Amino acid sequence: MFCPRCDKDEGIKFFEAPQDRSWELYRCQYCDFIWRNTEKESIKNKDLYHPNFKLNEDRISQMIDKPAIPPLRKRS
Amino acid sequence: MPYRDLREFLKRLEAEGQLLRVEREVLPEPDIGAAAYAAGEISNGPAIFFEKIKGYDQKKVVMNAHGSWENYALMLELPKGTPLKQLFQELVERWDRFPIPPIVVNNSLLKEVVLKKDINIFDEIPLFRINQYDGGPYLSKAVVISKDPEDVKNQNLGIYRLQVKDKDRLGIQASAQHDIAIHLRKAEELNQPLPVAIAIGNDPIITLVGAMPLQYHEDEYEMAGALRGEPTEIIRAETVDLMVPAGAEIVLEGEIIPRKRRIEGPFGEYTGFYSATMKQAEIKIKAITRRKDPVIFDNLYIGKPWKEHDYILGLMTSVTLYKQLKVMAPEVVSVNAMYCHGYGTIISTKSRVGGYGKIIGAKLLATPHGLIYPKFIIIVDEDIDPFNLNEVMWALITRFRADRDLVLIPNAPGSTLDPAGYPRGLVTRMILDATQPIPPDMPLEGLSLVTPPEEASQWIEELKLIKK
Repeated sequence: MFCPRCDKDEGIKFFEAPQDRSWELYRCQYCDFIWRNTEKESIKNKDLYHPNFKLNEDRISQMIDKPAIPPLRKRS
Repeated sequence: MPYRDLREFLKRLEAEGQLLRVEREVLPEPDIGAAAYAAGEISNGPAIFFEKIKGYDQKKVVMNAHGSWENYALMLELPKGTPLKQLFQELVERWDRFPIPPIVVNNSLLKEVVLKKDINIFDEIPLFRINQYDGGPYLSKAVVISKDPEDVKNQNLGIYRLQVKDKDRLGIQASAQHDIAIHLRKAEELNQPLPVAIAIGNDPIITLVGAMPLQYHEDEYEMAGALRGEPTEIIRAETVDLMVPAGAEIVLEGEIIPRKRRIEGPFGEYTGFYSATMKQAEIKIKAITRRKDPVIFDNLYIGKPWKEHDYILGLMTSVTLYKQLKVMAPEVVSVNAMYCHGYGTIISTKSRVGGYGKIIGAKLLATPHGLIYPKFIIIVDEDIDPFNLNEVMWALITRFRADRDLVLIPNAPGSTLDPAGYPRGLVTRMILDATQPIPPDMPLEGLSLVTPPEEASQWIEELKLIKK
């Protein structure tokens, strides 16, 4: 299944409504986006997802680490 | 009597007409986020209690529990309708009882259900997307507990946004200015995981202290005791060496994975804008303790002010900054830091010498909160109420001299969430000194303030009587 946010074919169903299976939850194994099958098309359809929030490898490579990872302490 | 847990608080809100029950079934999205937004838009914003979440049998959700000054007053066990200035004064007085240490209990409803294997947060909490372009469901009001790995007496409680990314994995925003970032830095220097506990559905004062910018060494449980007027009950976590609020609905236990960052966000934030997507730390959840169902998930809508987060953050940040400034500058009279988490802060003060207002602005920057947040700082004289924006504007217009009273500190650290930061995380701090010049500065010449007629107060009373 295609991830609506990063367009990668990495979406998997990982949960469904515990009481009655009335909805399903999906997770992108690449970008960790989560969506529910009962949400609006603008959330779950990759062609309709808002371009400001789309992710690609170029954008991901430019992301900063927050907080920065410190150097390891030298063993004394 | 102070509230022992969230349920006692909700009961009081309902008795006072400040809690609405939604009995019909709602969808996790978009219903819960939309209703919580709406609660902030109606007069005296009530808490919204969702009785039936589609797909869950007995899970409940409450939103906007802190989301009005009426609810805030009731949280402090004061009558609803208590004026804002009185709430400020009440918190200032309660602060003076600090510290009231917590008491450790051995039993709590929090331990009715203990799960240590096959962890699935989605089974335990009815999670939902808050704003439509959030990267996933978030815990936006949970209190995270951690310890300094090298000074285990130093325990911290803080509210940090938590993105639920999988059945047992969360993203956490540990910004550099937050105490947990100090704990994490030390753990990562040693290449060790950082144990954490995440308490959801707390008594309302625990939530409040989780949002306070206390000094690093100050204990939030001891402050909660001071604000409550009696010790807070805490209980040992099951799998991590941490003490958690005994009154919580649910506690997640786990550890921050050292030296790893993964995609987190975006998230609709307190600025009213979505944050950028960044690579942030992650927590692996290893145990869950909770009350028996129906468990209550207390979460927060976040967006353009004013919303519930402004109530939680605004007044308590003002009081905290007031108490911290008062130690450094006894002339400080009042502080209003209610605008975007204190990005905008107004301080009223007496002046010791000419130009003193600028020093007060600099002292604000020397507080823990001052490291990142205040960037639009207005200093006024003691005759101006910083909570009365008409008076503040009058002071700016009649006392501020742009060529002499404007201080700019470019390229200063700022929040990465500040949409005006360029680059993100760097801002220009601005101090507007709107105090009247006194020697050795040149006092403004020939000024005579129009004072109220002596008989005015008598007339106010008489007019009130006629109005009745």
